[in-house]
Amino acid sequence: MLRYTMGHLAQALLLVLGVVIAIFCLLQLIPGDPVQAMVGDMPVPPALRASLEQRFHLNEPFFERLLSYLSGILHGDLGYSINYRRPVFDILAERLPRTLLLAGTGYAFGIAIGVSIGIHSAITPHRGVDRAWSALVLIGYAMPTFWVGQLLVLLFSIHFGWLPTQGMGPMISRASGIDWLLERATYMVLPVATYTILEMTRAARFMRASVSETLEQGYIVTARQKGLSRREIISGHVIRNSILPVITVMGYSFGTAMGGAVLLETVFSYPGMGSLMVEAVRARDRQVIVGVVLVVACSVVVMNIVVDLLYAWLDPRVRIGSAKH
Amino acid sequence: MSLDLVRRLFATRFGGTGAVILVAISLLSIFAPLFATTGPLDVGLPSLQPPSWAYPLGTDSIGRDVRSILLYAGRSSLTIGFSAAAMAFLIGGTMGALAGYFRGPLAAVLLRITDLFHTLPAIIIVLFTVALMGASFWLQVAAVALAIWPIEARLMYGQFITLSEREFVLAARAAGLPTFHMIFREILPNAVPVVIVQVALDASTAILIEAGLGFLGLADPTRPSWGEMLNRGQEYLDPAWWMSVFPGMAIAIAVLGFNLFADGVTEMFNPRASANVAPKLEG
Repeated sequence: MLRYTMGHLAQALLLVLGVVIAIFCLLQLIPGDPVQAMVGDMPVPPALRASLEQRFHLNEPFFERLLSYLSGILHGDLGYSINYRRPVFDILAERLPRTLLLAGTGYAFGIAIGVSIGIHSAITPHRGVDRAWSALVLIGYAMPTFWVGQLLVLLFSIHFGWLPTQGMGPMISRASGIDWLLERATYMVLPVATYTILEMTRAARFMRASVSETLEQGYIVTARQKGLSRREIISGHVIRNSILPVITVMGYSFGTAMGGAVLLETVFSYPGMGSLMVEAVRARDRQVIVGVVLVVACSVVVMNIVVDLLYAWLDPRVRIGSAKH
Repeated sequence: MSLDLVRRLFATRFGGTGAVILVAISLLSIFAPLFATTGPLDVGLPSLQPPSWAYPLGTDSIGRDVRSILLYAGRSSLTIGFSAAAMAFLIGGTMGALAGYFRGPLAAVLLRITDLFHTLPAIIIVLFTVALMGASFWLQVAAVALAIWPIEARLMYGQFITLSEREFVLAARAAGLPTFHMIFREILPNAVPVVIVQVALDASTAILIEAGLGFLGLADPTRPSWGEMLNRGQEYLDPAWWMSVFPGMAIAIAVLGFNLFADGVTEMFNPRASANVAPKLEG
């Protein structure tokens, strides 16, 4: 298990390094004068130009620039945002937890509900029920998620007036303790609900496919012949065996959840990583764009490692199989 | 032979419905001038009118007929869907085929590059590209293709690996047939059904990504698209729900069409396979 873990970690590190180098190379391809891009639409005094070139190593050869860029990242130096007038690292440290809170909550609800729907859809003796679930899931899957968010806003905020439309909390809040939490929570309901719908449709589709496959396995027939009840077979054999591949798929789709944040946070004006990316693209704030891309890449890689290890731990065949190769 | 294929597609659970939806929306957009009352950029109608007999889908904030824009916008959205999917297939398919056929160090390098792109969510790749290069129409298509080709590469690689072990391919190899013949006459034709399914799913993904990009206001502003309509609608969500609801419905119907079609094709060639599940790349 230790060897398996180390191997995975090494691969992941290489992947992140690859992403960083790829981004760095892409940045070199941008036409135009980098100093001018930093300063904006103003004439650059020669002294400022010299100091900027010195500071960002602009006149050094490619490999030296790459090395200083990499060592900067290792020291937590992701550059400086011209738009926000703050170090990129600080902005990211503020925004990332918010996105993780939003995406994580939606993820948890979505998987729980989706898996239940998938199981019910696969084991129900009524064809009509299965079809209805499948149709519902397909339609949910086809709708652009941010548009679902807009529909929820239309219904629950504008039509019924029950929930706030956007933001993370009121501008001025006098609440404290539990009240403060509840106040915050009302702002989270709609974004979390939208996230839940996105993850739910995915989980339901995979779970239904996985359960149907498990039901055809020989050991289910054996269990039935042993005289186990339907309930025992489903809870003891079917769900356990079907949920493994679903865990993997859902783990790998974590990156998609991070991508979803870009649009959902914009719909709800939620100040997380996603809306940061959009603001940075609009303001052409390159250092921030690169910072967000890096953080997203790293979190996806970390999540993939977690899934791989979890899977190997849950299913010994995986780690034994890989040791043989 | 082709008529027989159509008949088989309609015999599947959803394939026929998907095909009908796709043909219908394609015809509506191609022949947009026949169904639209005004051009997509014609202003001058009363603004923010709710749906009525005169304006079935209402009018927007600057006095344009939403139905007319919707029809013309379908052209951009579908063009992006089809061309980005085709481009992704060309890039990804080539990478996957090369890796799967030649294996060895070449495959290792190509697969690592694929992994690299696969690490990042599609919308992030697209935003990054657009931020660096700008957002003209075809650049946008290229950016979307750049984001979705890794799936195509993985798929093609898998197909080549599996098919290379089959007897007829081994026989052809033993007979000493040239590489070109091996790839294009022996292996590729057998991968076609899977490829069609994936290209259809890619097209739906591309439409969803375009919708997101347009919604963020980063698409080509000179061409109306469904995503761009949603961007305009966002501001008027309260007084004019129809500006957002109808373009969103158009996207959902198109995506549904592609997915049902893909499901149908899968079932047609492999009746036992459960519905193919596309990774949803857009958020």
